[in-house]
Amino acid sequence: MITGLGTVGAYGCGSDSLRRALAAPDLTVLLSDIDRTSGYHRPGGARRALLARDVSLAEWLAPKEARRMSPPSKLAVAAARMALACAGFADRRADREEMSVAISTAFGPSSYSEALLRQILFDGPEATSPFLFTESVANAPAAQIAILCRARGPSMTITQREAGALQAIGQGAADVASGRAPRSLAGAVDEMTPLLHALLDRFGALDTAEMARPFDRRRHGFVAAEGATVLLLETAASAAERSAHVLARVLAWGSAFDPTAPQAGWGTGHERLARSLRRGLERAGVDLRTIDLIVSGASGSRGGDRLEALMLRDVWGKEERPLPPILAPKRVLGEYGGGFLGAAVLAAAGGCMPPPAASFETDPELSIVPDIVPDLPSAAPPATVLVTSVAAGGAASWLLLGAPEAQEAQEAPETWGAP
Amino acid sequence: MVSGVGAVSGLGWGVDALWEGLRSGRTAIRPFHRFDHSRHRTHLAAEAGAAPQGTVSPEQRRLSMADRFAVFAAAEAVHQAGLTAPLDTLEAGVWLGSSTGGMFESEEFFHRFVTDRRHARLGDLASQQVNGPGDAVARHLGVTGPVQTISSACSSGALALGAALDAVRSGTVDVAVAGGSDSLCRLTYAGFNALRSVDEEPCLPFRAGRAGMSFGEGAAVLVLEPLERALARGVTPLAELAGAGSSCDAHHMTAPEPGGAGAAAALQAALRDARLPADAIDFVNAHATGTPLNDAAEWRALVRVFGERAGTLPIVLTKAILGHLLGSAGAIEAVVTVLCLLHRELHSAPSVVRPGDQEDLPANLVLDRTLAVPEAHAAVSTSLAFGGANAALVFSRWEPA
Amino acid sequence: MSEALAVPSRIKRLIVESLHLEGIRPEMIEDDAPLFGEGLGLDSVDALELVVALEKEFGIKIKSQELGREVFSSVSSLSQFIEGRT
Repeated sequence: MITGLGTVGAYGCGSDSLRRALAAPDLTVLLSDIDRTSGYHRPGGARRALLARDVSLAEWLAPKEARRMSPPSKLAVAAARMALACAGFADRRADREEMSVAISTAFGPSSYSEALLRQILFDGPEATSPFLFTESVANAPAAQIAILCRARGPSMTITQREAGALQAIGQGAADVASGRAPRSLAGAVDEMTPLLHALLDRFGALDTAEMARPFDRRRHGFVAAEGATVLLLETAASAAERSAHVLARVLAWGSAFDPTAPQAGWGTGHERLARSLRRGLERAGVDLRTIDLIVSGASGSRGGDRLEALMLRDVWGKEERPLPPILAPKRVLGEYGGGFLGAAVLAAAGGCMPPPAASFETDPELSIVPDIVPDLPSAAPPATVLVTSVAAGGAASWLLLGAPEAQEAQEAPETWGAP
Repeated sequence: MVSGVGAVSGLGWGVDALWEGLRSGRTAIRPFHRFDHSRHRTHLAAEAGAAPQGTVSPEQRRLSMADRFAVFAAAEAVHQAGLTAPLDTLEAGVWLGSSTGGMFESEEFFHRFVTDRRHARLGDLASQQVNGPGDAVARHLGVTGPVQTISSACSSGALALGAALDAVRSGTVDVAVAGGSDSLCRLTYAGFNALRSVDEEPCLPFRAGRAGMSFGEGAAVLVLEPLERALARGVTPLAELAGAGSSCDAHHMTAPEPGGAGAAAALQAALRDARLPADAIDFVNAHATGTPLNDAAEWRALVRVFGERAGTLPIVLTKAILGHLLGSAGAIEAVVTVLCLLHRELHSAPSVVRPGDQEDLPANLVLDRTLAVPEAHAAVSTSLAFGGANAALVFSRWEPA
Repeated sequence: MSEALAVPSRIKRLIVESLHLEGIRPEMIEDDAPLFGEGLGLDSVDALELVVALEKEFGIKIKSQELGREVFSSVSSLSQFIEGRT
């Protein structure tokens, strides 16, 4: 059961600010200039990103606690505490002893790693800062969550690029389902630094006009983002004990790999990925017909969106069924920071459907028009949501979310329901 | 079941080199050549030598050292398991631990990017990621199942093995290729030195006079699969990965919780998972980095779990020979544990007398010479990470029914 | 006013800057107040960070064996140590 959602990004802190961002026509208003004073950027490249640097975390993190933390650690702890608060834990520390932590990060604490390298390479190893080193490890955010939320259960940091977020939720769900931990804080965090931004741009991964156009014929890259999204997962019994409000249920999860992928790129193995996805759904006892909505990790990347689209087409095509509606939240949330995971949970919880893009041109090879969700009379949230992502480098992961059971129908401004 | 193992370490490329080197009891920690360490605080590491001829194909040019270590070890393990790539007709998955991936190559790229941009090749950065080695293994083996890189510092390799075990038991995969890979790099070398955690001499885990850790590098991979599948292929299992457990100290970013409660919790979770009592364990491959704080806390954890037996249980100290392989430590020590069970022999650690002020851990604990253990049936390997993530793996001897 | 600040003042400034102690001004740190445990509540990683800053500021090298509790117990003890080395 997902009983807590904490999220921070360019849109601000908390699920309300995420909802507002999802309701926006595009991401323009949230873009900030990336700092180009270090001279890393190439001329004519992307200059803006979805940054969280102006978002105050003061409500969630005291200056004393944050003193040595790297930016991703701060974002992750804030999101974890938000998730706990959302789930009804008033006291941030009691009763947390066996909670597990599963966090995904694509690039880890990049700003600290970079500063560390500068010290070592240009000032000399003797100038190396212990602060920077201890907080430059990929598992720093997970470790800080464990320390500050007193989570003494299993702790894991997954680094599988764009596929890691859903893998982390799967890990958290496995911890809870197996009894290894009664609760889990699981999610994703990333920071977007000038260096990272400049390198992504030089690799041709970013859209130079900072427009994210998932599945669109004109798509030319993604928009870089940073932030953290953390979910609190727990057993049904544990949720019931606290009369906690359940946002959604994790029904199944899985991942697969496309060995045709080049290093850090996307391959062409959509058929095999589709086979793996179908097999995973079968093993989980899920009938395709029960999937009402797909939340896709498509970001606007030429290769990634293509791979994901063809994979989904193949899965439904083999059953000769039309694809359910597909949402592509990265159109407004960008890539990295787990925002799309938050959007998927909100979609599963009901009442949060982003409007379609103002202008869209169908890519004939993909034949997908995202963010068109038919109005339906019922006010209930969708029964089942499939969330998918494909990573640069070959990994792919998916998650199946279900509606909260035995919950009264949600009253929400834009609602839609299962057929 | 473990049906294949592969390894690269300061003792050489391949499991044979590893086992022969361990049996000699001589440390592989010595002055190294990977990068200029003249301005670093210490100057030693157990560096993996050059790859044997013909092991790196032209397509693998762009792979980082950590990628190559991983691919070699994975290929060796898969070959021993009697499997042939591509593994796409099986449900096969890859779980690999790494703390820095292709960081060494990225350091060189970054240096050039800042000082001499014209000569900085973006392609060099393609393998920078921490998930580089895991992805490289998956591509090399043609894997189509789950692929995941875990980066939880010094517990990464052990956690990867735990995740792989889950996947095999649940039937998510028919075969899991799991382990870890890390190469020497300036970032971790300078970083641990900045924490003053590094011994200027080869480390002396658990001994009086221990003054810190030593660095190592390499990769280790184990092939895990259900017993029936291995037997059906006519492969004799090397050992059984009977259980895995993990916990988090939730105490401090670098210092272990001194009472060893977190480490003990991981050990106990692993024993429960293996359905074995503490009494069933015949030896321990300790994390044992050689830092005063780690070893003391780990000793207390062993006492919590094994009680009075902790003073008589043989402790295998692989880091005294191989150094600390960081993200692949848990994996290489898993391979060492499998080899010890298989060969019924525990390797020793160099016996060096050094004055020091650490608490003397019971003297008969640390093996001064190779110990034959014909009756050893089960062992546990521990990994206790930076940031408090603890992992323990229980292995048992496989005997035909 | 001499050009160089006295050693204790320089140490206090370094403590605040290198350890990111927001909301604390160097003058607020008493010469004899405990730095670790109670008082400012710094820990072992702070001590090591401070060592890097001190080495750079005063152009000295501090060996690991010299990093004892006594030397680092207060600004005064640090000051005495530094002055003995420069």
